[in-house]
Amino acid sequence: MMRTVSVLSARLVADVRDMVVEQREYRELLVRITARDLLLRYKQTVMGFGWAIFMPLVNTAVFSVIFTRVAPIETAVPYPLFAYCGLCTWNFFASTQRFAVVSLTSNTSLVTKVYCPREIFPFSAILVSLVDFAVASTVLVGLMAYYRIPVGWPVLFVPVIVAVHVAFTAGVALFLAMANLFYRDIKYLFEIVLAVWMFATSVVYPIERIGGRLGTLLLLNPMTPIIDAYRATLLERQLPAMGPFAAAAAVSVALLAIAWLLFHRAEFQFAENV
Amino acid sequence: MHRPGVTFNGVWKKFRRGERHDSLRDLIPSAVRALVRGRSDELTAEEFWALHDVSFDVSPGEALGIIGPNGAGKSTVLKLLTRILKSTRGSCEVRGRVGALIEVAAGFHPDLTGRENVYLQGAIMGMKQAEIARKFEEIVEFAGIAEFIDTPVKRYSSGMNARLGFAIAAHLDPDVLLIDEVLSVGDARFQERCVERMHALRASGVLLVFVSHNLTAVLDLCNRAVLIDRGRVRFDGHPAAAIQEYRSVTSNRDAGRPAEADIHLAGVEVFDDRGRPVQAIDTGAGLTVRIHYKTPRPVERPHFAVDIHRGDIDAVIDHMLKDGESEVRLQAFVFDRQAVGKLVLMWWTAPAPGIEVP
Repeated sequence: MMRTVSVLSARLVADVRDMVVEQREYRELLVRITARDLLLRYKQTVMGFGWAIFMPLVNTAVFSVIFTRVAPIETAVPYPLFAYCGLCTWNFFASTQRFAVVSLTSNTSLVTKVYCPREIFPFSAILVSLVDFAVASTVLVGLMAYYRIPVGWPVLFVPVIVAVHVAFTAGVALFLAMANLFYRDIKYLFEIVLAVWMFATSVVYPIERIGGRLGTLLLLNPMTPIIDAYRATLLERQLPAMGPFAAAAAVSVALLAIAWLLFHRAEFQFAENV
Repeated sequence: MHRPGVTFNGVWKKFRRGERHDSLRDLIPSAVRALVRGRSDELTAEEFWALHDVSFDVSPGEALGIIGPNGAGKSTVLKLLTRILKSTRGSCEVRGRVGALIEVAAGFHPDLTGRENVYLQGAIMGMKQAEIARKFEEIVEFAGIAEFIDTPVKRYSSGMNARLGFAIAAHLDPDVLLIDEVLSVGDARFQERCVERMHALRASGVLLVFVSHNLTAVLDLCNRAVLIDRGRVRFDGHPAAAIQEYRSVTSNRDAGRPAEADIHLAGVEVFDDRGRPVQAIDTGAGLTVRIHYKTPRPVERPHFAVDIHRGDIDAVIDHMLKDGESEVRLQAFVFDRQAVGKLVLMWWTAPAPGIEVP
């Protein structure tokens, strides 16, 4: 038993060292692939990065009509601000997954013919979406100025929220990319899951409004504390609710660690299974 | 830093025939089995060994050719060397910086320009951006596409594409260079430059592993060759001897093994249609090859084979003389005007592999 444990932990240490060394060695490739994907994404488009803003903006308008006129709800800050903050942060998660799920299968020629750490493909999906997220955030700043929302010191906490957000997103992305390689159903299944997931998160309404047993169940969703934390620090000048946020952070880090390790161990099978 | 080198130590590799299990019903039991017992290295019904206990070592300064019939496992060896695949059993190690002239344009994206693709492909091959920037002019010059460097690659001809890919790969500074059939890229002049480049790399002490059907090129470039047949190493030694062994393996398939005979070649003459001796043959022209040989005792059925090679094809004409024939009429029909071919004569059991008539 002890022997098994020490063998397994030795293997774990070796794998982790491998993962870190590889990422270091291939960091320029990650940058290149990200640059390629960004370039390709907006090549031959007129609006370019405008698209990163357009989507959450239109959604904000639609949900503003629904939740201020059709079925008005109470929010701590003006509703468009509430919705845009939720939509642009959710969008980073969702669009990363949309890219990541096909990141291995759409790079078949690289996966089967050239060696490089395969994590690069889902990671570049994250970086590309992160750039879009940064662009979309400028509108949030604009909206905050428009509604005269002052900035308080809790804003200093935002980098921590971004880190947790990225970790969770990366964990899910690694799983999805890997799963879709072996089972192409994932690509279709996850679209449905993503649509349901958005309404199970405080994106366009505060999730507490659901209440009841379903409401309790929805507390397990790590995306809610993350998005709520953005709203608290940016819009309400408060620290996030520490209990849920710490739990979400722990889940995110654990998820990323497990996903990355599994990904690394399955990596050599990718070329045979694409 | 270790001394560069390649070690293949008792490598086995299995593949699956047919489709992979794709339903969840199969996944769960197999995942459980994998968790409990680890990856099994026994064969199941639909699996087969693509490599069967393959071992060899290559040291710096050596150029190893890997030859063998189709499906012998050559590409699998190469994919194991490039770490794309992982061996089922045994270990496979490459020490030093690896350059691979394999799928040289694999990372190209059709919508990106030549320039963007040079940086991308270079990064994929493990070059630093600063290094690519430094060698950029040289690469473009080598590929001969300077005026199209800012055109998207989707508008390139397949030749331009491959030339650019090769040019990038050729400007790596590897310790170990792995080469697949790449000599088929571009026209005769470009091919010559590729071969020159590989000779230069070899001369500078780079370790080469060259997988090819092109026996002439193996003979030309390598100082050692491994013959792989049905996943096993059949021969490891001098390229000429390996090629001879290759001949006997492939001819074994259709005919009996040629009789061993003590044949000494006295001379080979090549004549054109009208019976005039020639040094070069034009496409479409007929030719006659006359072989003079001596034997200490009469040979009943000597076997000779005449191949005409083009840089990229194994043997354009692969003619075995049968039953004591010593003259054969051939047509050099496959050459296009600029291609440079070589006529190679092989015979069994002789000490040297053949002579070349350029």
